[in-house]
Amino acid sequence: MQQTFPISDQELEALSSNAINSVFNTMLDKTAVIKKVIKVDEQTCVEGIQLPVDASAPMIAGTVGFIGNLTGIMYIFMELPLAMEATCKLLDLDEDDIGAEDHELVNDAIGELTNMIVGTFKNDLSNKGFECRMTIPSILRGSNFSIEPAEVALRRIYKFDCGGRSFVIDVLMKEEN
Amino acid sequence: MRLKILTVDDSKTVRIIVKKSFKSFDCEIFEAQNGVEGLAMAAKTTPDIILLDITMPVMDGVEMLTKLKSDPSLKHIPVIMLTAEAGRENVMKIAKIGVRDYIVKPFKEEVLVDKVSRVVDLRPAGEAEPKQKKIDDPIDILIVEDKPAIIEQIKKGFAHTPWVINGVASTGEAIDFCQKKLPDCIIISLSLPDDAAITLFRIVRSNAKTKYVPLFGLSVKTASEEQARAQQAGFSTIIHKPIDFEELEAKIGKAVNLDTSGKYFVIDEDYMTVRLPKACNAAVVNEVSTYLKDKTSQAVDAGISKIIFDAQKVSALNMDVIKLLLHSMKTCRDLSLNYALAGNEVVREESKKFEESKDWKFCDTVESARASL
Repeated sequence: MQQTFPISDQELEALSSNAINSVFNTMLDKTAVIKKVIKVDEQTCVEGIQLPVDASAPMIAGTVGFIGNLTGIMYIFMELPLAMEATCKLLDLDEDDIGAEDHELVNDAIGELTNMIVGTFKNDLSNKGFECRMTIPSILRGSNFSIEPAEVALRRIYKFDCGGRSFVIDVLMKEEN
Repeated sequence: MRLKILTVDDSKTVRIIVKKSFKSFDCEIFEAQNGVEGLAMAAKTTPDIILLDITMPVMDGVEMLTKLKSDPSLKHIPVIMLTAEAGRENVMKIAKIGVRDYIVKPFKEEVLVDKVSRVVDLRPAGEAEPKQKKIDDPIDILIVEDKPAIIEQIKKGFAHTPWVINGVASTGEAIDFCQKKLPDCIIISLSLPDDAAITLFRIVRSNAKTKYVPLFGLSVKTASEEQARAQQAGFSTIIHKPIDFEELEAKIGKAVNLDTSGKYFVIDEDYMTVRLPKACNAAVVNEVSTYLKDKTSQAVDAGISKIIFDAQKVSALNMDVIKLLLHSMKTCRDLSLNYALAGNEVVREESKKFEESKDWKFCDTVESARASL
């Protein structure tokens, strides 16, 4: 099935990198580069794997799905310091203005960043002829996130470096008949 | 009146970014988290423009837009979609319902401001109800001219005024200047190389902060082609070289909306004097008439009951001036003000030629006019 999937590995990597950099450049004046790619399938990930970052660090995960010719979901896992930095830059605030306990504002900012990233990704898919609609972003907080196997045609995990800080995106896609 | 912008987005972050983008403009931002709240807020506030997301819970942007456009009292409100959804199908669907523009997230704040300013009049904060500057207040005039001698000439020509004349030689320097300080008026030489005058005109007009600054073109009278192009582009006025500074001063005063009443109305301790200039043409008469009611009322409020109409400098007494004086004298009578006329020999002689003014008594000097009251 994977051989017939209409998006190649290279295309997916380019789409993901473009989506991240388009949003990071425009909204945060930052760039990010892919440092590691993990190919996940049911054979290599029977029991799940840990995220390729410090598992114990508190993280924030944004999720947005897309439904259409191609259906999928994208997760963005970000360590809290980077999430805070991104929120400050987006809203033109100092960390003191936000406060460590203002989870709602940081959650909202990362949700919106995820929405923009998946939007850019999805719009590029549309340009390739795959029309999809997006779901509303949701946010999770926690640590020790792990990747569980799922029934999808294509799944890749990309670890990015952004000015010395790492974050991870997990892209899952399948083709709808 | 402040511009009202309604941002409808489930993301607080986007709503904060919208607020931040327009903080230097004279506008009020209203917020709604979804289509239902958006429609209610639109009905309550009647915003001048709506920035609308598509993907929202409760009621999405497409449904809200459809309902908005079917409501006779709200359908006129322009809508700009501000959304991460940019698929062709989506764009076509929304365009059919009626949106003015489409901004795809991620977006730069400048793009948002630029697109909104193309739909509504976006004014820098504090400009909506400006305190009108007076003719003797300092104003900043930017001259964009690659010939330093012309800049010097303009500085000398306005040396008698408190106006600050800033000269730059190129488009780039002019843009830098405008970023640091908003000039009250810009005069651009139409003979700048590489069509720079037209290019600069477009840059100034397309920037939300400078789009209302009056732009004058400066050209030699015979350069009809460059003048025609400038007029076609939309320059407010073309000034000819050699410059008639009296005319230019009047044109700047009008374009910048300066209160020029100080040129004509002087309030002393006990008197108000209305000084008519040498060239008392229709434009001057109109200007004086505009201020007359307010100034006489102001004089009465200040406890002044005597007015001198000083026509000693007037070079010729035409019907416009006579009408102005007739109107002024009637205003004085209505307000129970005492008045007297002062005029030179030409004015006195010419006044006898008109039925309306043949019986007027002019004093030789302002002092004698004062003494007569």
